[in-house]
Amino acid sequence: MTRRLQRYVVFGFPSTHDAISAESALKSAGIAVTAIPRPVSVGGADCGIAMRVAPADDERARHVLTECSIPIAVSAEIDDL
Amino acid sequence: MTPERPIIYLDNGATSWPKPDVVGAAMVHALDFGGNPGRGAHTMALATSRAIFEERRRIASFLGVSDPRNLLFQPGATQASNLVLRGFLRPGDRVIVCSTEHNSVTRPLHHLAQSGVIVDVAPVDDWGIVDVESVEGLLSERPTAAIVCQHASNLSGAIQPIADLADIARGAGARLIVDGAQAGGHIPVDLDKLGVDAWCCSGHKGLLGPQGIGVLYLRPGFDVEPLIFGGTGSGGPDATEQPYLRPDSYEAGTQALPLILGLGAAIGVLTEKGVEFQRHEQSLARRLHEGLLSIPTISVLGPVPGAPRVPLVSIVSSAIPSDQIAYELDRRWGIASRAGLHCAPAAHRALGTERTGAVRFGVGPLNTEEHIDTVLEAVSTLVAEPR
Repeated sequence: MTRRLQRYVVFGFPSTHDAISAESALKSAGIAVTAIPRPVSVGGADCGIAMRVAPADDERARHVLTECSIPIAVSAEIDDL
Repeated sequence: MTPERPIIYLDNGATSWPKPDVVGAAMVHALDFGGNPGRGAHTMALATSRAIFEERRRIASFLGVSDPRNLLFQPGATQASNLVLRGFLRPGDRVIVCSTEHNSVTRPLHHLAQSGVIVDVAPVDDWGIVDVESVEGLLSERPTAAIVCQHASNLSGAIQPIADLADIARGAGARLIVDGAQAGGHIPVDLDKLGVDAWCCSGHKGLLGPQGIGVLYLRPGFDVEPLIFGGTGSGGPDATEQPYLRPDSYEAGTQALPLILGLGAAIGVLTEKGVEFQRHEQSLARRLHEGLLSIPTISVLGPVPGAPRVPLVSIVSSAIPSDQIAYELDRRWGIASRAGLHCAPAAHRALGTERTGAVRFGVGPLNTEEHIDTVLEAVSTLVAEPR
């Protein structure tokens, strides 16, 4: 079976605490989020855990993180399985 | 450990015992976690990161810290004090310290004084409460980097006027650094509102957690130099410099997951029953205090019955040396107390007991009236015996 790449938005964070805090906040807001190892291609001085959401949730996710005072170190769109 | 004989444990000022059952269960449960918190994003590593996140959030909430990033895990109050004092004070800085501090504060300050930090001591009154007017007078003499004061005395049980000190520190542009080791769990603590810049606390005393873990609160904007440098799970490929962000800056190295989960479980108990525990401890401490005062040759240090104090009561007898009292209480009645200078020779000097030491009884939430009455009967017996 062939699995197709999909487009995602990935957020990186300054610290593990911020990353897990982001996961908790996004889940509480009803946004489907997956914790992944931060892709090296995303770069940035952040922790090794990143949060991946669907592009359709990008804006709402940023709003939630801002409301919760959770800093985003880096964000990027990636193609992932 | 299970004692070989019944123990009346009244050494809760040194460390609390027994711990709530959930503490041990949480520590054992932590051994099921395979991942290293903050290192990796596989299922098990994420589980450990989430566990620490949740416990930090729970403990911060209990202590009145709105942003958990300002609540840092440390091996204990001593390391937390070292981190703040050594990370903040520089040669030429002046610090005012309360005269009844524990060695966890006086020793790092003594070390810093040898490298040029100026240490001035503020007196206490007969109860061991710092004289706020004297602190104000000292502040007016010259610029001061910090006031350092215990939240509650590990000898007299006196509760210090921390809110007043916070006000005058702020007015003088000084930081307020507080040793909260004897306060946490025993009295309500709301750190965001208290006005302190730093608050250090062991997890194994009134917070009922295991030994080896403590917490440090740093007010937002009060950044000090880290004490320990190393891996934090954060920082980019070129970041040889330790990241300056909380909590990572102050938590280099793998986190003590079993201890953090144990402390978190204890805080869960305190969140549910802490008010009840505090009321119970206060009641027992007062019963003990008043009973001891009625025993010939016994004097009690610190505030009079009814005045605010944490639930510890220290005594001196004019008839029997402190060490003999503690030894006989343990040997004959199975009562655990603590004699000596309590790692606080400065406090004993301030209260005039440096030559006698004292016997300290630290009341905990699982003590009973029967425990207290046994202590009173035992001390009465001891002082009545011919010597």
